[in-house]
Amino acid sequence: MDSRLTIAGRELAGLRAEKTILLAIGIQLFIAAFSSFLVVGLVSMYDPGALDGAEIEVAAAGDAVDDLERAAGEVPGASVTPYDDPDAARSAFERNAADAVVVATRTESGRVSAAVTAPDSTVETTVIVVQLRELLRTYELNERDARASFLEESPLPLPDRGETSPYFAFTYTVLIPVLVFLPVFISGSLVVDSITEELDRGTMELLRVAPVTVGEIVDGKAAAAVGIAPAQALLWLLLLEANGTNVANVGPILALMTALTTLVVAVAVGIAAVAPDRRAAQLLYSVAVLVLFGGATAMAGGPANAVARLAIDSADATTGLLVVAYVGIAAAAYLGVRRVVAVEGFGR
Amino acid sequence: MTDRLRRAARRLAVSVRRVLRVARWESARASGGVDRRTLAAGVALLLVAGGVVGVGVATGVAGLDVDRDVYRVGVDAESPYADAIEAEPSLRAVPAGTSSLGDSADAVVVTVVRPGSVDDETVDAADVEDVIVRASDTRKGEAAAAAVREAVEAHNERLMRAEPNRTAAFPVTVTLRYVGRTTGFDDGATLGGSDGGSTGGSTDGSADGTGGDGSGDGGSDDESGVADGGTGDGESDGADAGGTDSGDGAAESDGSDGLLGVPSIGGAAFGADTVGSPGSITPPFPFTSLLLAFVFLVPMNFLIQAYGSSILDERTNRRGEPLLVTPLSPGEIVAGKTLPYAATAAVVTTLIAALVGGGALSVIAVAPVAAAFLGATFVGAMFARSFKELTFVTVGVSVLLTTYAFVPAIFTNVTPVALVSPLTLVVFDLQGEAVSAGEALFSTAPMAVGAALLFGLGLGVYREEDMFSQKPVTRKFLDALAVRLSPVSVGSGLLDRGLLRALGAVALLTACTIPFVFVAELLAVAVLFALPVTVSIPVLLVSIAFIEEVAKSIALYAGFERGVFGRTDGVDAGEGRGGDGGTLRVALAVGIASGTGFFVAEKVTAVVQAVGLTDLFLGRAAFADVAGLSGLPPLALAALFFAPLALHVATTSVASVGASRGRTAYAVALTLATLGHAAYNVGVVSLG
Repeated sequence: MDSRLTIAGRELAGLRAEKTILLAIGIQLFIAAFSSFLVVGLVSMYDPGALDGAEIEVAAAGDAVDDLERAAGEVPGASVTPYDDPDAARSAFERNAADAVVVATRTESGRVSAAVTAPDSTVETTVIVVQLRELLRTYELNERDARASFLEESPLPLPDRGETSPYFAFTYTVLIPVLVFLPVFISGSLVVDSITEELDRGTMELLRVAPVTVGEIVDGKAAAAVGIAPAQALLWLLLLEANGTNVANVGPILALMTALTTLVVAVAVGIAAVAPDRRAAQLLYSVAVLVLFGGATAMAGGPANAVARLAIDSADATTGLLVVAYVGIAAAAYLGVRRVVAVEGFGR
Repeated sequence: MTDRLRRAARRLAVSVRRVLRVARWESARASGGVDRRTLAAGVALLLVAGGVVGVGVATGVAGLDVDRDVYRVGVDAESPYADAIEAEPSLRAVPAGTSSLGDSADAVVVTVVRPGSVDDETVDAADVEDVIVRASDTRKGEAAAAAVREAVEAHNERLMRAEPNRTAAFPVTVTLRYVGRTTGFDDGATLGGSDGGSTGGSTDGSADGTGGDGSGDGGSDDESGVADGGTGDGESDGADAGGTDSGDGAAESDGSDGLLGVPSIGGAAFGADTVGSPGSITPPFPFTSLLLAFVFLVPMNFLIQAYGSSILDERTNRRGEPLLVTPLSPGEIVAGKTLPYAATAAVVTTLIAALVGGGALSVIAVAPVAAAFLGATFVGAMFARSFKELTFVTVGVSVLLTTYAFVPAIFTNVTPVALVSPLTLVVFDLQGEAVSAGEALFSTAPMAVGAALLFGLGLGVYREEDMFSQKPVTRKFLDALAVRLSPVSVGSGLLDRGLLRALGAVALLTACTIPFVFVAELLAVAVLFALPVTVSIPVLLVSIAFIEEVAKSIALYAGFERGVFGRTDGVDAGEGRGGDGGTLRVALAVGIASGTGFFVAEKVTAVVQAVGLTDLFLGRAAFADVAGLSGLPPLALAALFFAPLALHVATTSVASVGASRGRTAYAVALTLATLGHAAYNVGVVSLG
């Protein structure tokens, strides 16, 4: 046990000396900050409800303009000004007095045709189009209601519009899983580097001369890599907590991510043993992690979804079972890889 | 003359031969490191990964369902809303009777049944008079309630699609077209449209596309080819448009770019028409093109891993020493070692372009990105002390460059700032939009120059004493900068030729930071773009000032730290006073040189005006010095022109004096310089 701790300590000392762990945390912070910025940017661009006071002015004309005005009354952020004829509406648009033109006319088939003109390639085009869609959908609902008697299946009444933050779901379903799983990949990569570097520099031979078994070397290196992962994840969760995001089930989340780290580290040890050249090893490792994680995420109840449900406090018994299953798989994988490497040794 | 030319040509030929020899050796070694078994394993894994990604793409991005079952909604099994809740992946239905709000459910759907309706087991949709969603009083409850509303909307949409009576189900057909205002771009800068601007002719918008006769002729000149879907016989056409199960994809736009058969979601951005029910309107967001553009970046991440390993390999166990002692110059060695990877990048990029339907423009646009990836990795591998450090440097490079390339491209159709990233050109190319040569140059040149400078930086430490030693990254960085400087000693005369050359080197080195300053500033603009202007402008001004001050003074700090510039630290106390004055003189001289170099380089970047970047308010803040100077008297114009010179010289001198006195003094002086610079920036912005 003692020699394993020594090896683990040596690994951590190396990380500290090179301050790489700071770089790692810096990278994670950058990813987190940027993805948040990105979402804020996208939301304010593409979800004008989040834009305070985004109000579009629609110049309307045509014989169905009254209904359109009524629909505008129900939509926040859009107001309709009726014009006598389409040309007047268009000239208002040209004068910048309106953001868009809607010419609504009733056709002989009983439908309403809305010819919409939106400005071309300006910053707010997207906002205008999104608001217009909202307005026209409301209009469609009203018209559909008026024709409900012709429908075989009547649509369900909609519940009232509520206030909600567009960032809420993002925080739990994207940001927290990303922050929780980044340390997992970093730990695996560290193990690959650590083993291939020792092989490359010839220090692994020195280590083999010392009274430690290969299994103990693997244990020591794995312990260091697995140990730092939950610490980083906890750091992120605490940071989120300090920012006012409640994260539920911190314990199970950490257990899940530690299990995944162990699994990824086991894969990393196996790859480093098979491909002692760093280039090949890192390439194989990236691909393997991509496959593992991509595959797991695509399945129902993948790790990312499990973390999201745990963090948002919507976990049920199956989520708990899933965590236990991951722990079991990880332990089995690690013990299996350790056994094979202990017998075969590194680097053929 | 011809003799000299011939000699130069011969030298070049020798050099090319050497580079090719190193390249051959490198590619032989690179393929030797990966034996057949690992290669087979890698290919097998890649195939599986490809399958997984393929399935992911086939099921759509939402198919990954990271938000599956995140909200629990109480609803009775016989309620008509149960189907709607069931169909929405993010909602999980729990029995309404047993669930308690806030504990086992986040929202509960309560239906009010119309009095007098038939009282049997299941409630019919027509019998529902009203619906109330009670949600727990938390943010989660609010989000759950909103998700329920969306689920019901989607459910209704599905119901209506199955409806035989199209006219009643989709009573509104929409024809959306984009029209440029003749008044131009500027006046619409704020939402709600100011009433300024000219009342110029409205010929453009009113010429065609009147509601009555459909959009057939409107579409013909807008290359989207929307031939039908007008209103006259729109009985089935319009409804079918809404009826495609993509739901949010405007089915008609496939005429303009039929990529992978995916309904391009707003792929044909501006100038294309869309017809359909209101639900099928999509804002111009180049989603598919963006996704495909991202594919170009993926192989880079694998490539730089191998490349970084190869460079670091030279440095472990002094393996690179034999090569260093050959007549090959470091430049030739590095060029030779880089060539196979650059070639691989070119081949892979071309293949991807052929696969996703990109043209030559895509390949040209990705080239500087690949070069930047390789250049940054080269510098990282030259600086890193171990594989672990290299891993983090590589990840850092990947993250930074991917963000830099990808994030601006998201705003491709929204703002010209997007052209900062070469990937925007790829998006344009995939959308089939024309790009002017100026735009292409603006987009690719900074990154290409930056990549070249990165290689230059790394080459500076491609020498024995730096390659095989374990120095911290920061010290190697300072080494790499100091290599490019010439000595300036305390005692040298004022108009010494050596001194002038040394100052020229300082100015040149500072001028070379311009692309990085440019990139950093634009990254800052892109990041802060999302924030409200009241917050983003001050933060932007300070961060820009900081970036510029660091760029101007870091080389000077390197010079003083490495003893290239005279510093009196080591001199004995006897002549301390005189030496101090000498140091001050040197510090001021190099400070002035650096400031001037930066000023000149900055003026050269006035090219950015060509693409109208300065039209943007934020852009104006970033490039304050080149914007909006017309209409001022010549004297003021001259003053405004030279004011930045005075500013740069003054602030850099402050930082330089700090740099000459050690690390702490440098930090303090840098802060002072930044504040001064920011104050000036504020002045310029409020003036403009």
